[in-house]
Order: sequence, then structure tokens, then C-alpha cells
Amino acid sequence: MAENKDKATQKITLTSNDGSSIEVDRCVAERSMLIKNLIDDLGDDSVATQAIPIPNVNDPVLRKVVEWCEKHRSDPPQSTEEENDSRKKTTDIEEWDQKFMQVDQEMLFEIILAANYLDIKALLDVGCKTVANMIKGKSPRRSARRSTSRTTSPRGLLSLWSFFRVSFIP
Amino acid sequence: MPPIAMSMSGMPSQPIRDDIDNTWQYLQGGITRIMTNLQDGIDLGTYMGIYTAVHNFCTSQKAVGFTPSSNISSGSHRGAHLLGEDLYKKLTEYLTNHLTELVTESKAHTDEALLAFYIREWHRYTIAAKYIHHLFRYLNRHWVKREMDEGKKSIYDVYTLHLVRWRDVLFKLVSEKVMQAVLKLVERQRNGETIEYNQIKQVVESFVSLGLDEGDSTKTTLDVYRYHFEKPYLDATKIFYQNESKQFVADNSVVEYMKKAETRLDEEEERVKIYLHPDIGIPLKKCCNLVLIAEHSNILRDEFQVLLDNDREEDMARMYSLLSRIADGLDPLRAKFEAHVRKAGLAAVAKVASDADKLEPKIYVDALLEIHTQYQGLVKRAFNDEPEFTRSLDNACREFVNRNEVCKSGSNKSPELLAKYTDILLRKSGSGVEEAELEKTLTQIMTVFKYIEDKDVFQKFYSRMLARRLVHSNSSSDDAETSMISKLKEACGFEYTNKLQRMFQDMQISKDLNTGFKEHVQAAGIKGLDSSYSILGTGFWPLTAPGTNFNPPEEILADCERFSRFYRNKHEGRKLTWLWQLCKGEVKANYIKNAKMPYTFQVSIYQMAILLLFNEKDKNTYDEIVSTTQLNSEALDPSLGILVKAKVLNLGPGSDKVGPGAFFALNYEFKNKKFRVNLNVGMKSETKQEEVETNKTIEEDRKLLLQSAIVRIMKARKRMKHQQLVSETINQIRQRFVPKVGDIKKCIEILLDKEYLERLDDDDLGYLA
Repeated sequence: MAENKDKATQKITLTSNDGSSIEVDRCVAERSMLIKNLIDDLGDDSVATQAIPIPNVNDPVLRKVVEWCEKHRSDPPQSTEEENDSRKKTTDIEEWDQKFMQVDQEMLFEIILAANYLDIKALLDVGCKTVANMIKGKSPRRSARRSTSRTTSPRGLLSLWSFFRVSFIP
Repeated sequence: MPPIAMSMSGMPSQPIRDDIDNTWQYLQGGITRIMTNLQDGIDLGTYMGIYTAVHNFCTSQKAVGFTPSSNISSGSHRGAHLLGEDLYKKLTEYLTNHLTELVTESKAHTDEALLAFYIREWHRYTIAAKYIHHLFRYLNRHWVKREMDEGKKSIYDVYTLHLVRWRDVLFKLVSEKVMQAVLKLVERQRNGETIEYNQIKQVVESFVSLGLDEGDSTKTTLDVYRYHFEKPYLDATKIFYQNESKQFVADNSVVEYMKKAETRLDEEEERVKIYLHPDIGIPLKKCCNLVLIAEHSNILRDEFQVLLDNDREEDMARMYSLLSRIADGLDPLRAKFEAHVRKAGLAAVAKVASDADKLEPKIYVDALLEIHTQYQGLVKRAFNDEPEFTRSLDNACREFVNRNEVCKSGSNKSPELLAKYTDILLRKSGSGVEEAELEKTLTQIMTVFKYIEDKDVFQKFYSRMLARRLVHSNSSSDDAETSMISKLKEACGFEYTNKLQRMFQDMQISKDLNTGFKEHVQAAGIKGLDSSYSILGTGFWPLTAPGTNFNPPEEILADCERFSRFYRNKHEGRKLTWLWQLCKGEVKANYIKNAKMPYTFQVSIYQMAILLLFNEKDKNTYDEIVSTTQLNSEALDPSLGILVKAKVLNLGPGSDKVGPGAFFALNYEFKNKKFRVNLNVGMKSETKQEEVETNKTIEEDRKLLLQSAIVRIMKARKRMKHQQLVSETINQIRQRFVPKVGDIKKCIEILLDKEYLERLDDDDLGYLA
């Protein structure tokens, strides 16, 4: 038990693509399946002294993601099975998460992309639901135009668009 | 390769994200390191680099479907076109090449070295597969998932892809040789060498892992393992033991072979536990049982008789446990066992039965018991106390208990002797056995009783002897009597012991009655005899009224009549019949001159009546005695005979034998060592006669028993086929005796005559109320 607790609070350093580092508890970092698998594969020692580079995410977004992970540090671990359908079908979002997602659209999309990249299923769900609520009642074309008009990063948009088609069109 | 080498010191420069060749080149370097050089470790940068490269490739612009051609060709892809097929193909190709190289390398190794090589490479490969599976997780999550959701059978998640490739490329070519090496190793162990069995265990694990369910890749099956491991293993085992056992049987005794086979079977079971897959347990056992036991079962069974004859318990136990492993293995043993026990039982009886008429009941019963005890012990110790063997034992015992040398004269002999033995045990002064010992012997008697077919005969004799014990109050203990009756009740039911219990009750009631009578006499101030009376219910006691007239002496008659009045007062309307032949008493002889103190004679009431005559005069003629006592000669002669023989009376001069014309004189010179002289000795001829009588009544009673059973059945069924009725009757009666069909038919005829039954159409019988 004590050992488990030690493990959970082991300090892990993440480095964003613009070079700044964030120190988090191991259990927080492990909300990302990518990082969890990495630690499983390479061993505890490998991350004790070195920072984990996160090449696809910049500092502000990474901090935002870490904030979410801190909040949700003691959620049950993400199941490898197909997500239970009820959660997928509703667009209800917890109050804290709603507040958390009250950011400008570009940040929202960056969070979604980072969640997808880091393999944080729950955060990805929250992000997608937020977008879904935004475009409720609007035709896909209009919402696409609207997104485009506000989005400054074409790469992000394209990735996001492709991602939406995967996630929302069954 | 170069970009990875540089990555050791930091972030590698990412490949061009939508260029497959460029991306693959980047990835290949990392994958090769994981495949071949994982022991040197992978740094965080490389790990993240590979993951990111896979991610970036899958999310590159191409994925959006800007290229029209890809959109058209993948019309079945609803929604987005997911890029990843190229990566998947490259990876597959890479694995195929890698494994082909391994196959080439494997050719340099044979036997144990090959095993070592296979296991080493398998471990290296599967660990790498786990890494690559994680690194390609983005591909798994999107492209692979989509393909699988669409039902593509040949697309697997990345880890499974590794296994499939291993199976299809390396395993296909190498497994047979690996298996040969495994079998060689096992054979060496069977021949007594110590081997590195961990290798085999790991090979098994590897083969099992390769069993992928084609329908659902998340599940595994044992098909691959069964075909490539289990089957050759079983074949090899079969051949090995076929050869070995053939050789061993030729050179050694059967007993030795059984030991060998037992050891081998244990070893094989142990082997499964130590390094094989549990799935092989049952087929392997089957295979070994077939080769080691079933194929030699005939010589084993032939040996059984020898073992029985020589009491080789341990070897029989071994044979039992071996043959119990194969189907129908034990039936022939049971048959032989049954025949053997029967023979032994018959031989034991024949040994004691040289003179059947004078046979001591104890010796006979002990002979039966000895055989039973011996073989019951054998069943318990060697045959696992198995019910089937117990049944064979029971069958054999039933045979030799009911049909043996002693029973030749009549099947009633066994129950008769058993009842007599019981009587001896329960009679006072019988053999002076201890209470605990007695209880044990009674239990043993019940063992024999269980096998007796004619239980009604036993009942007859038993009740007669019980009656005698009670009337003469020479039963050794009430507890033992009760215990025996409850044992019989347990074995045969309430009805069987009903009369026996009533006899007991009568004795108890009589005791109270006598107390009451004594009080009554005292209260009336009469000075009577010191007498006691038993009131025996007519229907329950196997006793009959005396066969002679009798005129009891005055002295007794007064007391008897007083008791009769007393009893009638209590129970109006009951008829008392005096069973004079069972009465006895004591008289004091005050007339003998030389005696320091008067002798006491224990006599029957008939003897008493005779002796009392000599109070009047010293000499009496036979005819005088007859006219006073009214006894017929059958009762009188033996009574007189004993008095004469004991020299209480002297035959008068001129008379040489007891009979009409003789006269008797009182012997004033009577002498005896004891002061109490028992003159009421049971007359041999009397018991003999009783026996004959008992046997005669049995046939009569059986007829009644059969008739009542038939009526009972018909009352319940109302209408029945003749044949059915006969078999039903046999079923009901069997607990008492084994009825003959002819007798049942006769009884049915009697009942038809008496109009209890009627004939109906179709060979049916009907019940007439």
C-alpha cells in the first residue's frame, strides 16, 4: 500500500515542444495512456531523472491538460474496453469540466488534439462533447465555416476536422 | 538509422509527416533496436519520437482525404479516410523479413541448442512486440480499429500481428524440429536423466500463445498447441511405453510389472503438473492407461487368481487401482472375486460339516463368519471398500450361507443353526461371555442373518427359543435380549419382531400381576404357596396346550384356583389355559435318613404330582399313579424315568422298566453330592421333536404369509395380470424367504376358491371385497 502511494506521488517531469518543463505526480501523468505505457515499458527509473519530451504540445496547452489531469487524478483508470455507450451518447458535462472548457476556441481545439495525441480518453470525450454542444442545431457546413473563421491554425483545423469525422459520424 | 543514433542525445528530428518512405525509414531504425538490442535500453526521446512519428503520419494531411483517388477507392470508408494502411504493410513486411532471417539462423542449431535458440528468440520477440504495440497505439486506436470494426479478418492489432507473423513465418518451418527436440528431452528424462525442463515449459507457453481465435483475435484457442504439441507428444508417449512395457513384461513377473506401471503413471501425472499444459492431463492419462494397462489387462487379470490364492493383499490393491483406471477394467475381477469367496465359503463349511447332525451351531456360524470377515477386510483394504466389490462379496456370501454342504438336507439348516447359536449365547450360563463381547457376537450374528434367505425359519426357531428362555427365566440378560430384538427389527421391520416384543411385554405384565396377587393373598390372610404365574398371550407365544390330561395335586390346585379367581376378577371374560408341561417347582425331601439337612428337588409339575403321592404311602403302582395324575404315558414315562434314574424312586422288585404293571418305592437311602438336585432336566427327545414340529409349521405359515401378501397386493391394485401378481408377490416376500412360483400359484388357486379373487378376461385377476 505504502509502495503504491510512493509510486503515485513519484515526480515526473514533462517537457513541452517549446522547451518548458512541468513537474507532476506520476498518477497525474498516467492519466495519459501514452505516458502510462511508456513508464511500464521503460521502467520507473527511466523517468526518475529525465524529463519526458512531449513534442506535439506547447507549454500553455500542456499546462491546461495537466490542470485537468490533476483534477481528475483519482478517477477510475480508463478502461481498455470500448467505452460504455451511455457516456458516449449523452452530451452532459460535469460542472467543473464545463468551466474548464470555457476557453477560446483555438485553445479548445488544441486541448482536444493534445488529448487525442496523449491518449487521454476522458478529456477527449469532454472536449468533443463541448464542441458538439456548440454546434447543436447547426448544419455541419455552417459550423464548419464558423470554426474555420475563428481558427488561426490550419494544421490544427485540418486535424480537428478529420478527427470530428471519425468521432461523430458513426 | 542515423536519425535514431543521433536521438540518443535528444529529440530526433521528426520525419516528413506525410511521406511514408521517409517516415518508415525513421521508424525502422527504432524498431530494429527494439527487436534486436532492447537490452541496451531505449531512451525517452526515441520512445516519444517513434510514437509521435506514427501519430503524425496517421494525422497528416493525406488523412483528410484531399487526394481524390483515395476517396474513391475507399468508398466503403464511411466518413474520414484513416491513413495507416501503408504503415501496417511496412511493419508486416519488416516482421516477415526479420523472422525469415531468424529461420535461417535456426538452421545452425539442433536439439537442446535449438530449444534454447527458440525460447531466447521467442522471448526477445514477444517483449519487443509489446513495446511496438504501445508505440503503434495510435495506429491501433484508429486505423486498425476501423478495419476490424468493418470486419476485415486479416487485420490484427499490432501485438497480435506479431504473433500471427511468428506463427506463419517462423513457427511453420521450425516447430516440428523444436518438437522433436522437446520429445528427445522428455525421452531422456523418462530414461532417468535429469533435464532442464524449464525449456519445455516455455515452449509449451509459446505454442499456447500462438493459438489465436480467427473469429475474435482477443480470444485464444488451444488449437495450435493441440496440433503441434499435444498430438506429437501423445504419439511419442504411446510408442515409448508400448515398447517399454512389452519388454518389461517379457522379462519380469506380473507383480513387478504392476509396480513399474504404477510408477510410470505417477511420473506422467507429475510431468503434467511440473512443465506441461493442464489441458494435456486427461488425454495423456488416457493414452498411458491404454498402453500401460488396457493392453496388458489380460495378463493382469490372469494373475488375480494367483494373488487371491496367496492372499497378496498389497498386490491386489495395486491391481485394483490400475484396472480401475480403464473402462470395465474391474468387472472380470469382481466375477473372479465372487467365485473365489463362494468357493472359500463352501470349503470352510465342508470342513466343519463332516457330521451335519451333530454340528455345533457355534462352529458352523464361526466358519461362515470367518470367511466373511476375511474377505470383507480384503474389500476394505485392497478394493477401496468399493460398493461393487461389496456386492460381489454379498452375492458370494448369500450363496454359501444358504446353499452348502450342511444345507443339503434342507435349506432350513442355516437359519436353524444360527438361531440355536443365538440361543446358546443368550441363555444363562451359556458360555459366560462378557457383556461387550456378547454384543459384538450378536452383531456378527446379524451379519450372517443378513444373508439368510429363509428369515422366517430363523424367526420360528428364535421365537421358540426365546419363549423357552423367558418361561424358564434363564435368559442371561434383558439388555442383550432387547438389543438382539432391536437388531432384528432394524433388519426386517416391525412386523418381524412384533411377537417377540409382545412376549417380552407379557413377562413384564406377569411380574406386576404376581406382586398384586401376593398382596391380595396376604390381605386375605391366607397362607398359600410361594408361587408365581406367567400369563402368556395365546397368539404371540409359540406354545400349545399340553397333550395330556392332568390332575394337579390338591396342594397346588388350591393356589391355582385362587390365582384364577384373582385374574378373572381383574380381566373378565379371559380364558386361561394351563400349560402344565412348562410348570416347575421345588420340593423338600424331609424323609431321607442320612442327610444332614434335607435335599431340595427341582422338579417339573408332573414329577411333583408323582412325588406327592408318596406322602400318602411309600409304594405306588404305575396304574395307581396314572389314575391319580391322569397323565398319559408320553408325559408320565419320561418323568418317572428320571426319578428312577436319579434313584429318588426305586423300581419295585419284579419290575424292570417304567410302564404298566411296574411299581415304585421311595428310596430312603437317597444320596447326592449336592443338596439341590435338578430333576427337571430337558429331555433330548423332546427338543428333537420340537425341531421337527417347528419345521413342519414353517410350510403352513409360509402358505398363510403368501396368501396374505397376495390379498394385500390385490386389495391395493384391484386388478392385475397373473404374471405380474406372481412377481410382485415374490418381491414382497423375498425379505422373509424365497418363494417358489408353484407355491404362489397354488395360493392364488386357494384364494380363488375362497372367493377373495376372481378370474377376469385376458388372464387378469380381480379383487373381490
